[in-house]
Amino acid sequence: MKVLSKVFTVIVSAMLLTATSVYADGHKSKGMNVPKIGSMVVMSGLENPWDMTFTADGSMFYTEKCKGLSVKTSSGKINKLYGMKDSKGYKNSGNDLFCSGQAGMLGVELDPNFKKNRVLYLYSTSTKYHGSGCKTNFEKCDGNIVMKFKVSKDLTKISGRTDIVKDIQYKPFESNQPFGGPGAHNGGRMAFGPDGYLYVGTGDRHRGICGQDNTLLCSVVLRIDGNGKGHPKNKVKGDKRIYTYGHRNVQGLDFRPSDGQLFTAEHGPWHNDEITALVNGGNGGWDPKEKTAGRGACPDQYCGYEPNQMEGMTPAVRAAYTPMSDTRFKDLMPPAWNNNGYSQGTGSAAFLKGGNWGIYEGRFATGIMGIGFGGTPGGMRIDIVDLAKDGKSVKSVIHMPVGVSKRFRGLEMGPDNALYATTDEGEIYKVSAQ
Amino acid sequence: MYFFFNLVRYTAIKILISSIGIIFFLSSFQALAGDAEAGKVRYNKTCINCHGPAGKGAASYPKISGKEVPYITDKLKTYRAGTKIGPNSGLMIMMAKPLTDEEIANVSAYLKDAKYDVNN
Repeated sequence: MKVLSKVFTVIVSAMLLTATSVYADGHKSKGMNVPKIGSMVVMSGLENPWDMTFTADGSMFYTEKCKGLSVKTSSGKINKLYGMKDSKGYKNSGNDLFCSGQAGMLGVELDPNFKKNRVLYLYSTSTKYHGSGCKTNFEKCDGNIVMKFKVSKDLTKISGRTDIVKDIQYKPFESNQPFGGPGAHNGGRMAFGPDGYLYVGTGDRHRGICGQDNTLLCSVVLRIDGNGKGHPKNKVKGDKRIYTYGHRNVQGLDFRPSDGQLFTAEHGPWHNDEITALVNGGNGGWDPKEKTAGRGACPDQYCGYEPNQMEGMTPAVRAAYTPMSDTRFKDLMPPAWNNNGYSQGTGSAAFLKGGNWGIYEGRFATGIMGIGFGGTPGGMRIDIVDLAKDGKSVKSVIHMPVGVSKRFRGLEMGPDNALYATTDEGEIYKVSAQ
Repeated sequence: MYFFFNLVRYTAIKILISSIGIIFFLSSFQALAGDAEAGKVRYNKTCINCHGPAGKGAASYPKISGKEVPYITDKLKTYRAGTKIGPNSGLMIMMAKPLTDEEIANVSAYLKDAKYDVNN
């Protein structure tokens, strides 16, 4: 009996030990791979750096809003390629290019076949196509353009400028709004989709009718080919270059690597920054037109900051008056995230790519600039947003431990799987994960 | 004798009045000069969100560091009074409204010599 008891004890002990080791192994394999994140300055002393794009070998093209386009080659040399009017030190320049307020040289993007065709796309404000327009804030003003260039193999010059979009709307004069200077809300971010088409974000340029008007290129995302022609399957009725409409000011634009879904990140009007999954022909729901949806007349026919636009007030009250995503519209693309009803200056975004990002791989890094009014906490951070598969909600949002607090203007993944960030303070940061 | 007594009394009164004047002058000068350290704390509370660290300017918001104290003081008091001076007046009026004279003096003192350090 004693022998049997000992045998039983040994068997039970062995089972427990086995179970423990299985648990231990299982636990280890299921541990969360949270990366160590750090940042370093790769460039400083820049003037409003806005956007970046990379070649496969790590050369970085970047724009400075009031200066022009430059490239930092993979060997570290800086070539100043294409300047604005009166910019100094650039190899070439465009005398029609200028900056004013939020407007200037903004987005830059390389063609997906850049290695072979050497084509680069550049977004800027220009006087070239004003024509008989732009005499007031209440008429057509073709003041933002998309240009196409060829880049020399040694990255020392760009040439052969062709303007492929000439009529993105621009605000020429000051208006009676809180951020009322000329050059407001130009959008400016660009991205190539998996379909090989170029997507271009634009803004409402403080014009009330822009949100829901699809004949003008404002408040829209374009889907065009390399010559500026609209995709044949764009569904929006109106200008055939328009992919989606009803946006406020699209400065965050990227495609989710896992399924190619396009998302925007937008800055709200003192309420509701938003991240939205776009669908062909969809409506972002922004409609700042006066005498609409129960509203009366608004200053300079634009209700974007109403009511009571010069005073702080509860964001929810503003949101009810002029919503970022108005549910009146049947074709509304509902936002996945609204920053808890706050606006803190969301303005750029990039999906994190590479296994080095651990559990954050595939999540949406979102740059937030600042602007804290009426009790709204300031931003100046990068959020990591875990978007639901259907793109209609978020699973979690955390602040990325970057180690610095800046106005993060532009985010872009580098070929080294690091996240690069331009700041309004004048730097480009490299944010690494291990 | 009487003359000397009056002279001493007159001089003493004069010194007393001058001293009071100097004390008032110095205290008012101190209020004008402001406390730069306190100004930095106040600046970093809200102003930094638009004007960037150390008033270096950011995006379309102007550089405000290196300006003389009377310049910033005047601008902030003008905005605080609700007067429009430029396209971002709506924002500045809103931000300046709650500022006290002391806070304006402190922020002005801080911005005069504020220097941007990329690492801070």
